[in-house]
Amino acid sequence: MGPLIPNGIIPIEWDSIIAILIGIAFGFVLESSGFSSSRKLAGVFYGYDFAVLKVFFTAAVVALIGIYYLDYLGFLDVKQLYVHPTYLWGAIIGGVIMGVGFVAGGFCPGTSLCAVAIGKIDGIIYVLGIMIGVFIFSELYNPLFEKLYTGSFLGNITLVDSLGVSPYWFIFIFTIIAIVAFVVADFVRKKVKKVFY
Amino acid sequence: MFNRNLAKISSYRYPIIAAILLILAGGLVLLPKYEKQKGLNPKELLNKAISPERYMSTDKLADIIINQDPSYILVDVRDEESYSKYTLPNAVNIPLNKLLSEDYIAYLNQDQFDVVLFSNDNFYADQAWILCNRLKYKNLHVLKGGINEWYKTIINPSVPEEDMTAQDFELYNTRKAASMYFGVVYPEQVKTEAKPVPKTSAPKQIIPVKKKKKMPVEGGC
Repeated sequence: MGPLIPNGIIPIEWDSIIAILIGIAFGFVLESSGFSSSRKLAGVFYGYDFAVLKVFFTAAVVALIGIYYLDYLGFLDVKQLYVHPTYLWGAIIGGVIMGVGFVAGGFCPGTSLCAVAIGKIDGIIYVLGIMIGVFIFSELYNPLFEKLYTGSFLGNITLVDSLGVSPYWFIFIFTIIAIVAFVVADFVRKKVKKVFY
Repeated sequence: MFNRNLAKISSYRYPIIAAILLILAGGLVLLPKYEKQKGLNPKELLNKAISPERYMSTDKLADIIINQDPSYILVDVRDEESYSKYTLPNAVNIPLNKLLSEDYIAYLNQDQFDVVLFSNDNFYADQAWILCNRLKYKNLHVLKGGINEWYKTIINPSVPEEDMTAQDFELYNTRKAASMYFGVVYPEQVKTEAKPVPKTSAPKQIIPVKKKKKMPVEGGC
């Protein structure tokens, strides 16, 4: 049956509208989780607030289990889902830059837009910084970044493909890792001095 | 009382949620795995079954064989004995009971050639056709009427009655020509042997050469 749009159950013309609705819901959840505050986001790195870790890890685990149950029951074909292609070195270097920006600025690109929406000045500065970065990348794309951007292409692979394990066992282990991470995070948060923000 | 119970339960809410997640994830591991049906669904099979491309007429097949069209593979699904007795030119023998064996898969599971399945009539060929379709093989056809029809129409075409249309005669002529290609000999085709003409050597004409008679020496000096 699913995915709904590629299989023609929902006409393809609806995809932008559905994307906007999902985007609004995503923004609402980010804001209501308090992710438009850079101090809450940075809390993960300083150990006084693990909401980011918990929310994103829970979302990933719930989505993963849900998708595979839907696949098992025949409502969704996992093989038809889009898998983002992997460009290994581009992803590594981009991830490092993104991580530095995350720690330094206290936002990820999505939450920075949330912060802009509620009028936070640091969020506005952060988005301006993103725009400058995009500008530099685009201008230097041909001489400098093209090889990095398109090189070491591994295809549309997932962890299940590259590790060669059964997806069900992978989900089970991943869930255990998530729960252990939550327990450890709670333990760390209790040890660290409370920060009011 | 109620509130106190609820508070007691809700103080354990995180372990409970974690346990639910673990049970659900473990359920995925423990659920019996089954192979998803990989064949055609009934709707697609029906579409293929009623498609006009499913059957191939004997006339078309004769045309293909005579023109030596290389894009067709003829597959005889009868047993080996019948195959060795008679089959169509250049046909491959894949008996129905060995249809799924590895040896023949290269003939059937490909995308380059059109496969024409035939048997004595189209009964076994149709079964092979359905099996191959379930395996998602492509470009499958069945010879309509099989070898019996082939014999009736191509090898031994019925002579049209006098009051039949010109088209029938044309068809008959085409079939007759085709059957000649496949080695059938017609009476009018047989050359009447010419009687040996006795060699009559023409009598030699004798042309007498008149020799000049030597004149008797007359006189003399």
